[in-house]
Amino acid sequence: MAVFILPAGLLVCALLVAPMLMMFRISMNHYDPAAMMVEALTTENYLRAVADPYYQRVLATTLGVALSCTALTVLLAFPAAYWLSRMQSKWKSIITILTMFPLLVGNVVRSAGWIALLGSDGLINATLQGTGLTSAPLKLLYTPGAVIVAIVGIVLPYMVLTLQAVIEGIPRQVEEAAANLGARPLTVFRRVVLPLATPGVVAGSVLVFILCMNAYATPVLLGGPRFQMMAPAVYDQFSRASNWPFGAALAFILLVVTLLMTVIGSMALGRKYRTA
Amino acid sequence: MIKLTRRGLIGGAAFAALFPASAHAEASQVVAGTWGGDYGDLLREGVDSAIMKPLGIEVLQDISSPVPRRTKLLAERQSRRGSMDVACLADFDMFAATQLSALEEVSEANTPRLAKVQPFLKKSHSIPQIYSAHTIVYNTDRVTMPPKSLHDLWDPKYRGKVGLSDFLYTTNTAFAAVAGGGSMTDFEPAKKKLMEWRSLDVKVLASVEAAAAALKSEEIWFTIVAAARGFMWRQSGIPLGHIIAEEGAFPTAYEAAVPKNARNKESGFKYLNAMLEPAAQQVFASKMGYVPTVSDAPLDPALDRQINFSEAERARLWKPDFGYLATQQAAVFDFWNKDFKG
Repeated sequence: MAVFILPAGLLVCALLVAPMLMMFRISMNHYDPAAMMVEALTTENYLRAVADPYYQRVLATTLGVALSCTALTVLLAFPAAYWLSRMQSKWKSIITILTMFPLLVGNVVRSAGWIALLGSDGLINATLQGTGLTSAPLKLLYTPGAVIVAIVGIVLPYMVLTLQAVIEGIPRQVEEAAANLGARPLTVFRRVVLPLATPGVVAGSVLVFILCMNAYATPVLLGGPRFQMMAPAVYDQFSRASNWPFGAALAFILLVVTLLMTVIGSMALGRKYRTA
Repeated sequence: MIKLTRRGLIGGAAFAALFPASAHAEASQVVAGTWGGDYGDLLREGVDSAIMKPLGIEVLQDISSPVPRRTKLLAERQSRRGSMDVACLADFDMFAATQLSALEEVSEANTPRLAKVQPFLKKSHSIPQIYSAHTIVYNTDRVTMPPKSLHDLWDPKYRGKVGLSDFLYTTNTAFAAVAGGGSMTDFEPAKKKLMEWRSLDVKVLASVEAAAAALKSEEIWFTIVAAARGFMWRQSGIPLGHIIAEEGAFPTAYEAAVPKNARNKESGFKYLNAMLEPAAQQVFASKMGYVPTVSDAPLDPALDRQINFSEAERARLWKPDFGYLATQQAAVFDFWNKDFKG
């Protein structure tokens, strides 16, 4: 069996694990403005990232955005996935493809569209002012709300397709049996469908949460200069401050936090809805 | 005895044909890491097609913003072969690359047109292609009395009407430093003036282009940006003027250099030389408002009045200490992010 995973394993080791080990080594170096990086074995970068209130706020913002986006995505995706999975129509495959349509557009291009929609001179403000509902443009762009809405738009297809695959595996007869035994639709959903769909919810949430934690283009383009998440902060340290050791430390902190939250969330959700 | 099949013969011939083709491609090609947009288009028009093509050299533009280009140049410096034959960067970024020994030395031997470069712009490891100065650019319809001093940007009557580009945090900090009594080697007074700006509801804009949009919509009336940008925006219809304040302004030169690990240094130096040709320089002046760096590229008098600097203005331009800027870069960036914007 091992021989089947060897090619993929070697590729992952070469292209992921090895660079990460190099990055970890860089994170232990010392930053020097003249030399950019000096060989050392120091934890100063990690201590600074953890102890600095600014970076604590950045991490908190990142977690807040990622959790909000994940929760919103589950709420929006579940009904759509349920409807899609129970569809008997000949249009099902076309609608499934349309669900993936947002993924065909790059994040930067999509963000440019949001700017056209949400800007002071954008479509929404122009419509509101044109109809007399507002007298001055509303600040829709460069807000946390804009970032959350845009990120949800990106990750929604992942959640819909993941949930659809799992819900399709839930026999319809199980729901019908519950209904026949007197359960109302909400009870059927809460006591039958949701527990059986938990693996899909967990898998989709993990995927979406990881994508949201590492979001870069959307927060940069739609969040504005005062809105900071971890991935842009890592990029800024590498490129604008040329502080590679500190940037590497931030990157690893982001990795560890994402991993921890993913494991804790998976275990908690799985335990809550474990089927008999 | 080697059994040579027809398939083997054809495959071997195809394989052998690759080598001379790739060697030929390398010698007649130069990869120029540059900005895109108007700059890239003018480079294509004034240098790539007009000068390099007749020399039989194909130019491939590696277009990106300066931040990843500088990072790539510095990261690649220890590699045997780099990805660029010519790197275009602003003077401050080029200084960092020079300090880290990433660049070839330029001289009149490898770049003959260097003899015509203005002495105050000459560097050891790069050529100055175009220059301007970061100045106060203001809306002439809204600001009827042109500002004279940097302190006008802190005038309470202009509360909420000053916009600063986030990308130009170093320049903005330099202006704040001088306004606070500091200098190009003392940025400490900048902190107080930056926080004063914040208390006056200064707007931080995501990019230099966002500043243009904000000036056009009159969300802001003032910004700090290159006079050349102000010229371009004025050409597009925004009513703007610029001044070199009595305290001075921050000069900026856009430079080009050949990395030490460039694959094709000879063509790279030919590219640098082509960038210093009068015709190539004049194209940038007329379309983008950047002043030529060579002494034999005269401008139309009307254009010269709009984009060039008088002797008195040139005397007021600050002399940035790039070594000091390099040591302060991380601290300036941290203060800008954490305290000023936070």
